[in-house]
Amino acid sequence: MAIVNPAADAFAASGRAEPEVVEYPGERASWLQVAPLVLVLLLFFGLPMLVVLAVSFFDFSRTEIIPAFILDNYIDLFRSEVTLRLYASSLKFALIVWVVTLVLGFNIAYFLVFHVRGLLFQIGLFLLCTVPFLTSNIIRMISWIPFLGRNGIFNQALQGAGITSQPLEFLLFSDFAVIVAYVHLFTLFMVVPIFNSMARIDKSLLEAARDAGAGRFRVVAEVVWPLSRTGIALGSIFVVTLVMGDSFVVRTMSGGQSASVVSALQNEVAALQYPPAAASAVIMVIIVTLMVAAILRIVDVRRELAG
Amino acid sequence: MSQASGEVAVVGVTKRFGETTAVKDLSLTIPHGSYCCLLGPSGCGKTTILRMIAGHEKPTSGDIRIGGQSVLGLPQVQRGTAMMFQSYALFPHRSVLDNVAFALKMRGASTADRHAKARELLTKVQLEKFADRLPTQLSGGQQQRVALARALITNPRVLLLDEPLSALDEYLRLRMRGELRRVQKELGITFVHVTHTQLEAIAVADTVVVMAHGHIEQAASARDIFVTPRNAYVARFVGGQNVLTGSVESVMNGVAAVAGKNGARYAIPVGGRHPRRGSPLWGSIRRDRIVIEKMAPGAKPTVGLNAVVGEVHTLENQGSYVKVTLDLADSEEFVAHVLDETFFAGSLDIGERVVARWSASDVKLLEDGPIAEEAAPAGAAMATAG
Repeated sequence: MAIVNPAADAFAASGRAEPEVVEYPGERASWLQVAPLVLVLLLFFGLPMLVVLAVSFFDFSRTEIIPAFILDNYIDLFRSEVTLRLYASSLKFALIVWVVTLVLGFNIAYFLVFHVRGLLFQIGLFLLCTVPFLTSNIIRMISWIPFLGRNGIFNQALQGAGITSQPLEFLLFSDFAVIVAYVHLFTLFMVVPIFNSMARIDKSLLEAARDAGAGRFRVVAEVVWPLSRTGIALGSIFVVTLVMGDSFVVRTMSGGQSASVVSALQNEVAALQYPPAAASAVIMVIIVTLMVAAILRIVDVRRELAG
Repeated sequence: MSQASGEVAVVGVTKRFGETTAVKDLSLTIPHGSYCCLLGPSGCGKTTILRMIAGHEKPTSGDIRIGGQSVLGLPQVQRGTAMMFQSYALFPHRSVLDNVAFALKMRGASTADRHAKARELLTKVQLEKFADRLPTQLSGGQQQRVALARALITNPRVLLLDEPLSALDEYLRLRMRGELRRVQKELGITFVHVTHTQLEAIAVADTVVVMAHGHIEQAASARDIFVTPRNAYVARFVGGQNVLTGSVESVMNGVAAVAGKNGARYAIPVGGRHPRRGSPLWGSIRRDRIVIEKMAPGAKPTVGLNAVVGEVHTLENQGSYVKVTLDLADSEEFVAHVLDETFFAGSLDIGERVVARWSASDVKLLEDGPIAEEAAPAGAAMATAG
């Protein structure tokens, strides 16, 4: 998109029928306003990305990195069966976690917005959702271990209640455990944007739909869901990118049995094999960018936020 | 459904929200095919009644009947009602056509059928050209007409309108209220219209229901509400009247002589009643039946019956008449509507002392508080016992 005056853009997006004449403060002022952010992004994001891109074409030996322009790092990456498996595994996690967090996030947000009466109570419950975030990610994740472990609380409870006779093995150090941890860590990232979208829905729209004969589920399908699309899209971007970029949760919760693209990349970095790690990072960035672009393709977040 | 009677009956309905009582033991019957306005200040319970008829709120006690049958617990569709919301509640993500066709979609009509019907209604409200636009691309008045078309697509027997004109500018408001009235006559269905604007209610309605604090102050034809308000509240709220108060001095030939606070004396017709001497009495006099006379400077206020003396406080030109507000020192504001010709023939100015006179036959008795009667045996005994 070309240079856009924010006021003009918001105006175009809202699609009003009667245009009004807006006085622009001038392009230069707009540039000055975005300059600090542009500088920060160029310096701390653009430049490092360029370095990574450059290094991805370098040659390397066991002891040194040799500036060059070779495609071997990429060719190796695409030839390796491990790459494919890692991407398949990461995408699988991303998909499952996305579905679960979406179902949870949508329902929690729906409950908070449309069932909880009173703003104070609503805000209170909303804050309650953020309580787990008062501790660090790592502690929250590790605390699943004594809960889900072979002799953990959950297994003991199941056995104590006579539901199982042996401890369930799949609970910890498994894909199941990884998904549980992801869902626990990332559901809030889905709840917040959806809550935000839903809170802006005029309640009388729901009554109008009910008036027209829509049942509970039709109201959700015809009114609430489409009007929450912005929040769903933003939440999906958060969750998908977080899962794709993770290495720690996978390694810890799978007990080292599963790996992600990023954890493989970390291994290479640890072995000082920077060029292949850089190539892997570049591919990763491209794939995640494509995923985000696909989401934005479906939902025009800019347009809906402006409207 | 459209053939069924659209008589709406609210029977002894009370509605509480927690501690507050929004509607208190209210009964009201709105005849089939009539245009009824619920009029009152915000918080008087008028919207709550509308929402209970629509099924968006449940009465705490009492019954709501449409066409003679109780509709309590029935879903909106089975009530045969449709609601037009104050904010129009158009679905922002659907085209105008899909908005209008929405109810038919919920009833499982095919796309072709429902679009054909929706187009027909859009043509009725002169918006067929805008069928493919989104609601936000329409002006307020156009959105309102879309909302009307959407409400009418199911052929409701009762249309409920929640402050339908409040979001429009003055010019559109006047046009749309005429339009609403025309549509109601054309369809012959019951309209229940909630508003806090007096003139709007009087302009469109067959029946105006004036409400305050969850109960009805007066339910009557628009003309009666304006000309013969039942009590001081209605007289003040509907406007167009001055309220006269004072204590009874004597009663003769069905007319009570009443002494007001500021030394003024009025005649208030009491019909066959005989209010006791000294008891308070209320009456009303129409603002446009008052004659204003300038007092010569220094002249003694020689005020006879049916007149008050005051100072001109404000003058507002209303086009066909001038609204003259008098300051009567210690009583409530007193307003006279003086015909433009009369007013501009004189030279009245702010601050001048004037006498406002009227004819006794234009004064109406208001029922405020029990009228303590003198000669009537039962009433008098009760009154003295109390």
